[in-house]
Formats: sequence, structure tokens, C-alpha cells
Amino acid sequence: MKKISWHKCFLWLALMLFSGLTGLSQDSAKKELLVDLGYFMPANRVPYLKVNTKTKIEKRFLPVPGIRVTVYMDSAENTLATVTTEQNGSARINFTPELKKSWDAAPTHTFTAVSEATKEFDEVTTEISVTKSKIVIDTVADAETRSLRVMVMQLSDNGWIPANEVELKLGVKRMGGELMVGEEESYTTDSTGEAIAEFKREQLPGDTAGNLTLVARVEDNDQLGNLFAEATVPWGMRMIVQHKPQARTLWATGEYAPVWLIATAIFIIAVVWGTIFYLVFQIIKIRKIGLSHPA
Amino acid sequence: METTLIPMQERTGGDRRIIDDLLPQKFGTRGMIWTGFLLVICLIGIYAYYRQLRYGLVVTAMRDYVSWGIYISNFVFFVAISLVGSLITAIFRLADVKWSTPLTRIAEIIAVSAIVFASLIIIVDMGRPERLLNLFVYGRIQSPIMWDVIVIGTYFFLSILLLYFPLLPDLKILARHKEKTGKALNRIYRFLGSFWKGTAAQFKISDRSINILCVIIIPVAFCIHTVTSWLFATTYRPGWDSTNFGAYFISGAFLVGAGGVVVAMYVFRKVYHLEKYITPLHFDKMGKIVVMLCLLYLYFNVNEYLVPAFKMKKPEENHLKNLFTGEYAPLFWFAIVVGMIVPTLILLFKKGRRPVPMFIAGMMIVVGAWFKRYLIVTPTLLHPILPMHDVPENYMRYFPSWEEWAIAMGSLAGALLIITFFARIFPIIPIHETITEEHEKDKLA
Repeated sequence: MKKISWHKCFLWLALMLFSGLTGLSQDSAKKELLVDLGYFMPANRVPYLKVNTKTKIEKRFLPVPGIRVTVYMDSAENTLATVTTEQNGSARINFTPELKKSWDAAPTHTFTAVSEATKEFDEVTTEISVTKSKIVIDTVADAETRSLRVMVMQLSDNGWIPANEVELKLGVKRMGGELMVGEEESYTTDSTGEAIAEFKREQLPGDTAGNLTLVARVEDNDQLGNLFAEATVPWGMRMIVQHKPQARTLWATGEYAPVWLIATAIFIIAVVWGTIFYLVFQIIKIRKIGLSHPA
Repeated sequence: METTLIPMQERTGGDRRIIDDLLPQKFGTRGMIWTGFLLVICLIGIYAYYRQLRYGLVVTAMRDYVSWGIYISNFVFFVAISLVGSLITAIFRLADVKWSTPLTRIAEIIAVSAIVFASLIIIVDMGRPERLLNLFVYGRIQSPIMWDVIVIGTYFFLSILLLYFPLLPDLKILARHKEKTGKALNRIYRFLGSFWKGTAAQFKISDRSINILCVIIIPVAFCIHTVTSWLFATTYRPGWDSTNFGAYFISGAFLVGAGGVVVAMYVFRKVYHLEKYITPLHFDKMGKIVVMLCLLYLYFNVNEYLVPAFKMKKPEENHLKNLFTGEYAPLFWFAIVVGMIVPTLILLFKKGRRPVPMFIAGMMIVVGAWFKRYLIVTPTLLHPILPMHDVPENYMRYFPSWEEWAIAMGSLAGALLIITFFARIFPIIPIHETITEEHEKDKLA
């Protein structure tokens, strides 16, 4: 019989223990958290910020809910809010009236988002710098053509100035999305901050008055953030709503169920429940016989 | 079935012995511990439900992907096991199968308790119980959910009637044995059946009513399980999109129901010392039925899984691989092997159809069937044909929260509690029918 080599056994044990510990340490390594901060200015009104937290799992970015993020404006003393990301990994930060003074003080602001460290993720800091800006939609229409003149302006120390080389999307609002006004997917502002697009959507159904809603959108601009504006124009066809009676189908509302289905259901229910009532009546009959019978 | 009238003065010592054996017995220490245990589980379930009502369905692990979790699995399980009432009582009665007499009431009370909790668990799953009314106010007859509500309500009333009619002659016997049953129970017996005098006219009406019930409850029982299967099969999803689902569900329901009766037979026989009434012959016969049902359900399983796996259509692929070799494989093979194959192998042999192996096989079938329902309901929801975008990672997995487990287990305990209390109050083996059969045997002898 071979002798057991205790040295070798010990070496193997040590190796296994070491590899196990290495494995454990790999498991406990924290994942990388990505924090996105976005600035949004809807219809030239009150802006807001949006923070998104996500992580990469198996080559896919998945939202990370429940991360506490603190957002500052310009400096750590000027806290905008501390929010917790929701199930979709997103949280919205609204500007409070108390911040108006600081907001009005400069044309450009820097926003910093700091996520709190958790068991899974380390602290992450993200920063964006945004210049106040606005979109103005103007329309030009003659007998043959209709055009949109969209102007993007940004605030400087000297007041509003044109923002050139800004890429923007121009569309018309439809149910569930926006339709491009022309053939171009996007337009870029010129040195006067203006982009012109010809409206080529003829005979587009509008509302009952024939109104369409035009939309101008700047998305993820490094300097201006996300801007959005809309204007209503009477360039569509008037929609005449005809209230047709609902057809009797399997997918209609309850009162428009197919007649054959209602008839079948009523027949089956009547037969079965008729039998149940008959049987209850039989119990009453048994009871009557029993009560009239001497004990 | 013809009923023999047994006037008091003609009762023999044999009748008295049967009555003494079959009268409900008080809980012993084991009975008290068992009832206390069930009550504790029910109370935990009630507390979990209180939390769900207070904080909403967010306390569950159900999210946008899995919106039918353990509650609906439990509902399908209850609906399945309730089918046994029609198998043992109605089918056997109509087929004039005499040996099933001691098992009829066991089957009926299992059916009633299961259908009660099937209804309750659906309300639990709704999250907002007060909205149940909307189902009736704004219900659509086109919806299989509406059919399910109607058919469950109907089956409940039919099951109650099927339990009540054969109980009437026994109520008279129970009321007569006040000294043994106690005053409080006597009041219940008198309230429920003091009018039963055992006259020929009463027996005639009762027998005819039972026959009508047996005829009508079979299609209703088939409907309840077919409609439950249609809740799934009318939805275009991998694993549910099948024309076979009605028959598949019914065969599974018969199997779990029969398994449940076998377990209950063994427990009642042991606890109430009913060896003279629930004999090895009953186990042998039930064993043969269970083997047949196991093989039938296996056949439908082969159809449900092997045929789609042979084609392996893209939308089905994820779902099937998940079941065969993926995350749910241990549970899937447990349900197939332990819930169907091993019981078949045990019960194929005469030695396996003795009480103890039968009890073990019955337990395997019931536990396997519970997990099988979970596998039918949940994994397919994790693989929708149109996956959602940007959903949190935990939406793509489902493991019930403690509240869901507590409520599900509480409902199972509640069903067992109904059976336990019923056996405490009423005879679990029909006394009058047993006496009648004994008389018939004597006559033949």
C-alpha cells in the first residue's frame, strides 16, 4: 500500500482553500453603476432633471432601482434634492421655488449627481453643464408651401443669442408617436439659430377643427440638454367622428356580446340553476313530509 | 341506488356497532395539536393577507412579467382536487360501484373545502377584494374569467347539495345519540335534519335528488376544470397555446383528486380506527384507479411537452428548455417522476396497493400535483412573446414572497381545517348507507 504524502495533501488543501477564497472574493466584487443625469425643458416652462441608474448584466443594460442619488446645482452647498430611483431605474428632480434666485444668477449651471454607495455598488458622481435655452416655433404658409421656422436661442451674459449647429427633430404629433414633417430625420440650426423645414404631410387627419400639433425637439445636446416645444396649426383635415354602433363580437364590451353566446350561456345557466332550485325545492318537500309525519 | 328503510325496532346489534364505530369522535391530544397547528398556519396567512390589503400587491413578488404567481397555481390546484367529488361520488354512484360507499363523504368534503378555497384565493389574487362586485356589474360573458366565476359558484352549490342529501338519514341517527355527540352538536343536527323521519316518501325524493345531482354534477365538474384550463389556453403564450388543455387539466385533476382521497382514506382509517370499513380492498381498488389516472395524465403530458419540443418553435424554445434543462428543471422532473412515474411503479404491484405504500404514493401525487400547477402557471409568464424593454432585472425572475407563501399555505391549512372540523361534527363514513349495505349483504347471505 502506498504511503500517504501529508505534504502533498496539505498543499492540495491549501490550493483548494485559496481558489475557494479567490472565487468568493470574485463573487463579492462590486458591479459598475452607471448614473445618467439629464436636463429637460418642456415647452419653455419649468425645467426638471432626470437621473437614471443602470448596470450591465450579461451584455445588457438593466435599470437599477432603489439607489439614492443627491443632486447639487453649481456647488455641494446648493442641494437640489435627494431622490431614490424607481423600478425603472429613473427618478425626477423638480426645481423648487427657493432655487429661483440661484437659477436666475447665471446663464449656465453645472449639475452634479452623487449616488450613495450600496452593498452592490460604489459611489458614482456624474456632472453635466447646461446653458439655459429655448425653442421658438414659427410657421410660414402660402398658397403652395407650408414651412416651419424653428429658432433655438441660448442665454448668455448679454441676453438671448442664437444657438447655432444645434441638431433638432421636427415632427407632427400622432397617436403614439411623432411623424417627421418632411423627409429629413433631423435639422441643424444655422448661424442665426434657425432651422427651416418644409411641411410635406398633406391631408393628414387633424382634430375636429383640422388642427395639428407640431413638435420641435432637441435631444441630449451636450450644452443645452433636452428641449421641447410645440405649436398648433390648422394644416390638417377635419376629423368627422362617426359613432357607429358596436358590432356584436367576442372582443366587444359586455353589452355587445354575440347573441349566440348569450343564448348558449343563458340556456346552460338556466338548466343547471333550474336543477339546483328544483333540488332545493325537493329539500322543502322532504321537510314538509317530515313535519307532517308523527314523530 | 335503492335504499332500505331500517326502523329502529329492527336494528340489530350489528347496526349499533356500526353506529358506535362511525359516530364523530372528540379530538384527542393528536387531534388538538393538529387543529392548533392548522389554526396557527391560517392565522399567519390572515396576517399576511392583512399586510397585502394594507400595503397592496407590492408585498408579493408578482410584477409586470409574472402577474399570476403562487395564488393562481394554488387556485388551479384547488379546482383540480375538487373534481374528486364528482369522480368518487357521482361516477361511482351512477355506475353502481358498491365498494366506494365509505369513500363518498371523504371525496365530497374534499371537493367542498377545495372549492371554497379556490374561490377565496381568487379574491386574494385580485388585490382589491371590494372590486369583486365590478365583475358582476361590468362582467363580460365573452371572458373565460366570467365563465370560471359562474361555474365555480355553480359547482360549489352542487357539491354542498351532494354532501347534504346523503347526510340527511345520518343526521337523524346523530340526533338520536345526543349522549355521545353532545348538546351543542345536537343542536346543529336538529337544525339541519330534524325534519328527516326516514319515511318511504322522503327516501324516494332523496334518492331521486341524489341521482339527478350525480347526473348534473359530472358535466359541471368537467366544465369547471375545462374553463380553468381555458383561462390559459385562450391566451397566446408558449406553454399555454394548446387545444389539448381541457382534457390535460381534467386528467390531472382526476389524478390529484384520487391521490387526495387515498391520503385522506389512510389518515381517517388510522385516526378513527376505521379498519373494518376502509379495508385493504378499498386501497387495492383505489390503487388500480390511481395507476390508470397516472398513466392517462402521463399520456397528456407527453402530448403537451414532447410534441412542442419536437417542433421547437422559437417562442416555445426558451420556455421548454427552461423546464427540461434550465432553472425549472428540478421542479419539472420532480413533478413528472415523483408525481406520476414513481406512484405508477409503486401501485402496479399488489404489495404497493397496501395502505402504507398507497399513502406514500398518494402524498407523492398530491405534492407533485401542487408543483405541477406552479409549473403550468408561472414559467411561461417569464417568457412573453413580446419582451418588455428596460424592466428591472427582478421582473424577469419570480420567487414568491413570504406573504404569498403564508397566504398559500394558510389556504391549504384552511381547506384541511374544514375537513377536520367536518369529521369532528359529522360521520366521515355514511352510517345509514353502511348499515343498508350490511343488511343487503345479510339478505344475500
